Amino acid sequence: MNILEAQGLAAGYGEGFVVRGVSLAVGEGEFVAILGRNGSGKSTLVKAVQGLLANVDGAVLCGGEDVFRMGPRRVAAMIAYVPQLAEPVFEYTVEEVVLMGRFARQGRLSGTSEADEAAVAEAMRLTGVAALGAKRLTQLSGGERQRALIARALAQETPLLLLDEPSLHLDIAYQAEVYGLLKGLQEERGRTVVVAEHNINLAAAHAGRLVFLRDGTVVASGPPEETVTAANIRAIFGADVDIRENARSGLPEISLAAKRTSG
Amino acid sequence: MSRRGGRRLFWAACLLLCLAGFLLSLLVGPVRTTPADLVAFVKSPDRVHAAIFLDLRLARAVLAFLVGAALALAGAILQGYFRNPMADPFVVGVSSGAALGAVAAAALGFEAAAFGFSGPGLLAFLSGLGIVSLVYALSLRRGGFKVETLLLTGIAAGALASALTSFLLFMRSDSYDQAVFWLLGSFQLAEWGQAATIAPWVALCLAASVWLARDMDLLALGDETAQALGSPVRRVRKAFLAMSALLAALAVAVSGIIGFVGLVVPHWVRLLIGPAHRPLFAASALAGGTFLLYCDLAARTILPAELPIGVITAAVGAPFFLYLLHKKR
Repeated sequence: MNILEAQGLAAGYGEGFVVRGVSLAVGEGEFVAILGRNGSGKSTLVKAVQGLLANVDGAVLCGGEDVFRMGPRRVAAMIAYVPQLAEPVFEYTVEEVVLMGRFARQGRLSGTSEADEAAVAEAMRLTGVAALGAKRLTQLSGGERQRALIARALAQETPLLLLDEPSLHLDIAYQAEVYGLLKGLQEERGRTVVVAEHNINLAAAHAGRLVFLRDGTVVASGPPEETVTAANIRAIFGADVDIRENARSGLPEISLAAKRTSG
Repeated sequence: MSRRGGRRLFWAACLLLCLAGFLLSLLVGPVRTTPADLVAFVKSPDRVHAAIFLDLRLARAVLAFLVGAALALAGAILQGYFRNPMADPFVVGVSSGAALGAVAAAALGFEAAAFGFSGPGLLAFLSGLGIVSLVYALSLRRGGFKVETLLLTGIAAGALASALTSFLLFMRSDSYDQAVFWLLGSFQLAEWGQAATIAPWVALCLAASVWLARDMDLLALGDETAQALGSPVRRVRKAFLAMSALLAALAVAVSGIIGFVGLVVPHWVRLLIGPAHRPLFAASALAGGTFLLYCDLAARTILPAELPIGVITAAVGAPFFLYLLHKKR
């Protein structure tokens, strides 16, 4: 069954569309990475499918329901979102921020329930920020902050996780750790994971399916073995790359082909 | 100290200070009264002391408390709204707009009093709300509404209103004395009627803001994130903007412009008990009311003649603010 299904989706900010004619179905338990150049519409697509943009056309179904007609509380019970750039204001602690992930499950005046506390503790443990609970979000490094925001999304306890460039502020060890964590959530807990990602190797190593965007439309979609080809990368990214097989996983990996511009 | 422990201490201290402030306000004034007089009055009320204790001093203290609570709550709301601890009711133009209305009414001799408001008070209230509506309408664009646009439009509209106020003062310099009342604030004309008019609205806004406080917490993470976490962001923003405008316009309508309370009190409170908005809104209202109670006490006792309260709020507020700011770093 498809947990998320975009049908002829067009979306943008203000006037005009950044993403056009996107039809995309994500099955329950899948790990899908959306790839493309800067400005190709990855972030727009991730925002549009959860109803965050006002300027949309087409339809998105989440669990069979029309996302554009669902209230934000209802959507938040299905989809957790980790945005790309988070610049927190005010001195909230990590624990307070993770607890914000429980908003859709709390009454407006109710206190923190045992279920809330358990979900927050579990999310912080999984992301390795349990020891940082009393720290201010503003005091954390980029990587710690990113993991705290992933913890907030996990505390939401949704079947679907949407992440916008989760590797952006992370060094190489944390990139592997975050993707390992997402992979574990998908494989062991049956969560569906959709990431927008610019790092092709990272996506190919973890996602079961890659969706390539160019100028706001889907130009290729399929497992890494079929889609990460030199021809595709040249056509979509305009970059000449060499493809080789990863010695351990057998998955395709790219490296930039040396470019000579000698006259 | 843990945040929870800090909060308890803060509430206890604030409540104690507040009660002491009311008691002092009852005892201090041009007519000498002692605690014994107050005790005697409570045991067997008489008309002279009823006039002094209740109609003059208590009415004034209650009004000062309500206005302080309204301004601090409006400030706390707007700082959350703009995700900026430097925001206060001046940034959306409501204070300057209300001042323009009051000064215009004073200059034109507009005297139609209603709802416990004086003529200038009434016009101040209407023009304060009017200018916010105008600012809001101007910052609505096709395809969306940006908080930054609202902020800049509000500052520009406030500057324009201030210019018009100065122009009126220049043209009608004979209304200067009355204008000072409105531009620097005072509780000299406090009456029970004014307190009764604004009290239900202040209470309503406080209850509504506490109800929506968690939504405000989410807004600190950005509008898109707040909505993704389940908050109906557009409606929440409208409600908060309307509440802050109403609170600030009411405050100016009964006491003129009193600066610094809306900026500084929520800031203090945030430094002391943390940024979570549910305790912050309630604590800001209590702390703002208490702060203004003492400022009014100072305004009417420091010199033989009464000082405009705006002078006191800034003179007391600024150093204390700096102290807290540097102590925390």
